[in-house]
Amino acid sequence: MTARNDGMTRKDGGAAEGGLDDLFAAARAATPAPSEALMAQVLADALAEQPRAAAVPASPPVFAPVRRPGRALWARLVWALGGAGALAGMGTAAAAGLYIGFAQPSGLAGLDEAMLGAPLETVELIPGVDAFLSGN
Amino acid sequence: MPRDMQAEDLAAASDEVVLARYAAGDPVAARVLTLRLVPRALGYAGRLLGDAAEAEDVTQEAMLRLWRAAPGWRAGEAQVSTWLYRVVTNLCTDRLRARRRRPAAALDEAPEVPDGARGAEAGMIEADRLGALQAALAALPERQRQAVVLRHIEGLGNPEIAAVMDIGVEAVESLTARAKRALTAILSGRREELGYDGEE
Repeated sequence: MTARNDGMTRKDGGAAEGGLDDLFAAARAATPAPSEALMAQVLADALAEQPRAAAVPASPPVFAPVRRPGRALWARLVWALGGAGALAGMGTAAAAGLYIGFAQPSGLAGLDEAMLGAPLETVELIPGVDAFLSGN
Repeated sequence: MPRDMQAEDLAAASDEVVLARYAAGDPVAARVLTLRLVPRALGYAGRLLGDAAEAEDVTQEAMLRLWRAAPGWRAGEAQVSTWLYRVVTNLCTDRLRARRRRPAAALDEAPEVPDGARGAEAGMIEADRLGALQAALAALPERQRQAVVLRHIEGLGNPEIAAVMDIGVEAVESLTARAKRALTAILSGRREELGYDGEE
């Protein structure tokens, strides 16, 4: 396309047409690069216009800590009861109560007689409820 | 490491894929598209307008429209580059119309060549020739200029030019052929100035 072997020189009109392709190629190669200021402005526009709602996570999901629902529930329960210390205290009290109930230490056996004057067989936690339930 | 992989993947992806990532909020996609599209838009606008500052304004405006169009972009409807060339074409047309309405519009928009430099060095001759080409492009009817720049400098195929200019492929061929004939006529009238005589 650019080489013409028909004896014409570049002084002829046809040679000028052939040279046009060279000129286009030279123009392509000489296209000026954008200034840094323009690139920065376009990028700033891009980030300002970028939709925010569906923004990608800041860290890849692979590195996110795995949260198991069971653990979360347990953690919330501990927090609600006052933390690990309070939970330890409640556990100790429950174990002590269980021991006293089963073992009935001899020191405790005489305590009710000493305080109430008679052995304690039953305890009415809500004294009026039997009468209420029986209709009397 | 995963972020670098992501950037590499984007750099190899099509404009449409990168634009979708931009719309999904990926800041790397904004950078990839800026690096990829701004030089093309600027080069094309510069050829149509013959004015670097105006070409920068048009490029920034066209890219801004792309960012705003991104959330509603429908895949497969149009190529991003075709869309951008069309927007740049329309913005340049508006600017050229406004320029024509101004009373003191410059008739000769070719860059000035320093006196005494012509023919002194090959580099200066090249700059002279490119200046002459730009002046010849400016002398063409607007549609011919668009078609010939898109075809022979931007390197687009005729079907894509047809999509950019919203005309048929045959009309594109006709416009580019007439533009080349006109450029040849203009440039051969100036060949003495272009340094062709001393090049053989």
